[in-house]
Amino acid sequence: MASTRRRILAGAVALAGATAALAGCSPDDQETPPPPPPPPDALEPLLAETRALLDLYQAAYAAQPSLASRLTPMLEAHTAHLAELTKVMTPPPSPVTAGSVPVPPSGSPTTAASVTLAELRAAEQTGQKSAATACATAPATRAALLGSIAAARATHAEVLR
Amino acid sequence: MTVPPELAAALAGEEAAIFAYAPIGVRLTGNALVTQARDAEAAHRDLRDALLTRFAELSATPSPPAAGYTLPYPLTDQATALTLAIEIEERAAAIWRAALPPTTGTDRVLALSALTDSALRATRWRIAAKVTPTTVPFPGEQL
Repeated sequence: MASTRRRILAGAVALAGATAALAGCSPDDQETPPPPPPPPDALEPLLAETRALLDLYQAAYAAQPSLASRLTPMLEAHTAHLAELTKVMTPPPSPVTAGSVPVPPSGSPTTAASVTLAELRAAEQTGQKSAATACATAPATRAALLGSIAAARATHAEVLR
Repeated sequence: MTVPPELAAALAGEEAAIFAYAPIGVRLTGNALVTQARDAEAAHRDLRDALLTRFAELSATPSPPAAGYTLPYPLTDQATALTLAIEIEERAAAIWRAALPPTTGTDRVLALSALTDSALRATRWRIAAKVTPTTVPFPGEQL
């Protein structure tokens, strides 16, 4: 009885070995699949939000040139944030540059004229929260940058009061 | 558990900010600015207390506050007082920004909240002093 079981076990082991050998024997013509693309950087959503903020400012700017002196520092800050985020991201984000997203042509229902300071302020407040959330769990190398971006957005909302 | 030196630096920075707001407040006129200075001082006291509580949790003994502070320049009028208030908050923002990388969890949340609040106060002081621009792209970044 015991010897029978040993033989069956031995046979199973042999079979398993053969299967393993078969599996390991791949035909020469079969190409190894390309490595999967690296996952997108965790900062992609924050980058997209930064681009959206820039677009919003550019729309407000275009609609009300009289606000230029008030909005310029914020526009410059978001441009600087975009550049710094792009610098630290791996893989580098797709080369969509700020402003390449078309601003709706004037006259359309979502035209620039509809961007109010209150909307800019609300967008900054939302952006502050996302940057703060990203900062809270970011690796040490990114914490200072994300913290400054969160703080900058808070000050933008303050001056848009 | 050891306290990151950046948090110890934050405590020293908060003590210095608390000290500076007393002479600043004396030079300000008008209820709005006096209140603004009083609120700022209270915020720095809260931060100081939060740090002391945290150090106690970590069984760490912070170095005692400096025996005396000197102002970087004499405060002769409201303008010099506002200039110093801006500088105090910019310095606090830099100290708290430096505390972000070495911390995690609730310590980092505290540092971020302190950085943000200092940046906000610096902006409000710039508005009061009519300094432009009233915001900077990277609050707390050492230039």
